Amino acid sequence: MGDVDRSQLPIRRPSYSGAVNKTLDGSQPDWNLIGHPVPPEGAPNVLLVLIDDAGFGNPSTFGGPIQTPNYTRVAEQGLRFNRFHVTALCSPTRAALLTGRNSHAVGFGSVGEFAGGFPGYSATLPRDCAPLPRILKDNGYSTAAFGKWHLTPDGQQGPAGPFDRWPNGWGFDYFYGFLGGGASQWDPCLAENQKIIGTPAEYYDTDNPYYFPDAMADRTIEWLHGVRAQDAHKPFFAYFSTGCSHAPHHVAKSWADKYQGKFDQGWDKLREETFARQKELGVIPVDTELTPRDEAFPAWVDVPDNLKAFYARQMEVYAGFSENADYNVGRVIDAIDELGELDNTLVIWIWGDNGASMEGTITGSFNELTMQNGIPLTDEMQLQLSERYGGLDQWGAAIMDPHYSAAWAWAGNTPFQWGKQVGSHLGGTRNPMVIHWPARIEGAGELRSQFTNVTDVATTILELAGIPQPDTVDGIAQEPMHGTSFAATLTDADAPEHRTQQHFETIGNRAMYKDGWWLAMKTDRIPWVLTPDALKPYAPGVWDPDAGRAELYYLPDDFSQAHDLAADYPEKVQELKDLFWEEAERYKVLPLLAAMSTFFGMVPPIPQETTFEFRGDVQNVLSGMIPRIYNRSYAITADLVVPEGGAEGVIVAEADHLGGFTLYVMDGKLTHAYSMMGVFIFKQVAEENLPTGEVTVRMEFAADEAKPATGGEVTLFVDDRPVGKGRMDHTVPIRFSGYAGMDIGRDNGGVVDLAYEDKKPFAFRGAVKKVTFDITPHLVAQDELDVHTAEQHGQAAHALSE
Amino acid sequence: MTIDDETTDVLIAGYLSTDAAHEDYESVLGCGAHLWGAVVVSKDLKGNVTLEQSDHTVKEGAVGLGGVGLVVGLFAPPLLAATAIGAALGAVGGKALHNKIGSQVEKMAEETIPIGGAGLIVAYPHSATEKLEAAVVRSVQKVVGEAEGNHVKALKGALADAQKKLAEQSSER
Repeated sequence: MGDVDRSQLPIRRPSYSGAVNKTLDGSQPDWNLIGHPVPPEGAPNVLLVLIDDAGFGNPSTFGGPIQTPNYTRVAEQGLRFNRFHVTALCSPTRAALLTGRNSHAVGFGSVGEFAGGFPGYSATLPRDCAPLPRILKDNGYSTAAFGKWHLTPDGQQGPAGPFDRWPNGWGFDYFYGFLGGGASQWDPCLAENQKIIGTPAEYYDTDNPYYFPDAMADRTIEWLHGVRAQDAHKPFFAYFSTGCSHAPHHVAKSWADKYQGKFDQGWDKLREETFARQKELGVIPVDTELTPRDEAFPAWVDVPDNLKAFYARQMEVYAGFSENADYNVGRVIDAIDELGELDNTLVIWIWGDNGASMEGTITGSFNELTMQNGIPLTDEMQLQLSERYGGLDQWGAAIMDPHYSAAWAWAGNTPFQWGKQVGSHLGGTRNPMVIHWPARIEGAGELRSQFTNVTDVATTILELAGIPQPDTVDGIAQEPMHGTSFAATLTDADAPEHRTQQHFETIGNRAMYKDGWWLAMKTDRIPWVLTPDALKPYAPGVWDPDAGRAELYYLPDDFSQAHDLAADYPEKVQELKDLFWEEAERYKVLPLLAAMSTFFGMVPPIPQETTFEFRGDVQNVLSGMIPRIYNRSYAITADLVVPEGGAEGVIVAEADHLGGFTLYVMDGKLTHAYSMMGVFIFKQVAEENLPTGEVTVRMEFAADEAKPATGGEVTLFVDDRPVGKGRMDHTVPIRFSGYAGMDIGRDNGGVVDLAYEDKKPFAFRGAVKKVTFDITPHLVAQDELDVHTAEQHGQAAHALSE
Repeated sequence: MTIDDETTDVLIAGYLSTDAAHEDYESVLGCGAHLWGAVVVSKDLKGNVTLEQSDHTVKEGAVGLGGVGLVVGLFAPPLLAATAIGAALGAVGGKALHNKIGSQVEKMAEETIPIGGAGLIVAYPHSATEKLEAAVVRSVQKVVGEAEGNHVKALKGALADAQKKLAEQSSER
């Protein structure tokens, strides 16, 4: 294609220039008919890498303790950016990265799990904001995404779609990864394009176990090879978005063991060491000051001696996990190099989307979902629970879903204050970025310090590819991107600041940047504390955001935000406060705290469906889409065909041994097992064998009361005859799992009851014709509303942790 | 020292892992205190129960700890602040008290020890308190009951007192 109008997408096919007669006699073919759009001459390949839940002070490339040789390799041949900014939460950063627009403006003021009722928080991309992959695809790029997605609403991740909210709908030709915010790296429940494909079959290969980061790299390389095999010239856009280093922190022991003893000095000392290296490397100015420890984090010297090894191992695993991510990105880069295309591939590698995550609370956890379900556990309890599942050597294995202490995250954000969720401070908003493009970059190995925002990435890619932002897409007029291109910085270290102002907002924590000044407005709530007392000051009619503390920093002189100048410059404070409100209104940030609206009574309507039917071949129902059995009485009924000789296997199972339920038959007996987040495990076994033929089995749970985590009585029935019973003192109040799915007729991935671990997936021998869930709403309407509200609180808490 | 000489204490401790319980159990045995006996019961993730006990009273010709029903009751760590999850503790513990152990120990443990959990009971003269406290460091829940009198009465009384306190502690949560 020659000159084409790229302002309207899809690009219109050129007018037919051939001739058509009655016969071939005199007819002239126009071979452009079978052509397709091609990008402008010289448009580079693009590899966009995003590491998850990591901090400025994590990778060795930026002075951190985690060895990242591949990141350093591309930095030395490219450019380090030390003033690159993100939002302080997963989905918002991804939305901004892929759309070039401020996150609230495209419906992602919060995460995909929280699709709220305000325009800035709908988790639904407006059609007047076509994303980068769609624009590149329509302009002739091959596009693919691998890894974490986290931009599809929680309840829309099944075969009914709608698929315009899935990666293909955003413009990716191909997707291989997971739709949620986090996933097991050993047994993830994956999606491929528009299908949930569940746990890969390789998971069952004990000799060569499946590992998602390896598979991500494999799939990416395979896709690149496939594209090149078909078309030697078509540029590609590959979005490589790792599950690492989000919890669960899963990595082989050998990777974690590389760091054995490396963190015994604790988080306070680790910060000092990282800070010194950062200065030595020159990635922070020489006059930078190390910010002090907030009292929300304990001093390492106050950690009991008998627990120090427990805490140190948490960080060893996180470090090994992160280094493995570097290794796998390196494999992809090597593959591009092997194709001979690395010189003309624009590699943009961002180490972290929101600073390191403090959601492990102070203790860290053997199972990240314990926190999200509101189960307070001391560090000694956490240690014992990790022992229950194999001990510290297994921290990082599939048997646990670990998260480290918030204090390690804080150390990972050195030299800044705070971390993820704290949009007011640099710990949650400033991450390393490296750009590699030998064909164009001048000054390889240099540092760039222009103030840059995540919204600027898409704009820059388009400029470097020579592709204009479209005026219309599918006939819909487009909102211009909010990003400003930093392309000039690739060739000019002294390029002028391309961005002079930017607002930030995450869960009420706000910042306004303008011309070097940064106004920080953090709520007093500690990010990982969501108790009623902690939330009370933020209730509607109570909270006055302008009355809260405001800190003012001048970043050109104060890289780390160590000196609060608010008292000296009250007029600047007011100016930036006013500017924040203007920007907030313009970009749909309002109402503030919309991400927490459910905590203040604004809950979605109570679903009316009480019966859910699953035929026998339904598998991999994602965890946010299972029947709402939490905190209520319910029954699971299954119509079976039991063969002569008896049946064995799983009838229905949700998630795994760290939270889930399973109804199965073993040794001829109907059995129900229930894991309350791996802390409590309950099991009821029928007292008689299952008969053969057409059999209906049922498990009934009679809740004690209309309260979260209510206990209750379990009764097992065969053909309406009670055959077993037992009690569950506590049930899961919010959510069994962040990623594992529900299956009929088998238990895919990690199993719920380890008693049948050696038979996994323990497919049902016989036939499961149908499984029906009947939910019994509480009789008193207010009780039902209270339970529904509590569930929504929990879902919001879960969402904020993703 | 005989069991009639002074106040008898019974400590009940609960754990979320068998490792932790056994660590404390070994620590108790090695702490140098005079003991009447100690019992540790655990249940692994597949539901298998194991029991280990050191019954010092048998050596003295007195009635064994088993004879007074010194088995581990259900423990309930303070996991859910808003939920009285320990409410069942006293009842089940009381039931345990009135059961003979021996062959029934494992059956009782199956009913009362949560999957993946463990419990420890130690009986000792009150004068050993300091050493015991230093030895039992990993429990997630712990109570100490006490009673005076002859050995059987004291042991039963101290156990009952401990179980009563355990129930009270749990219902407060």
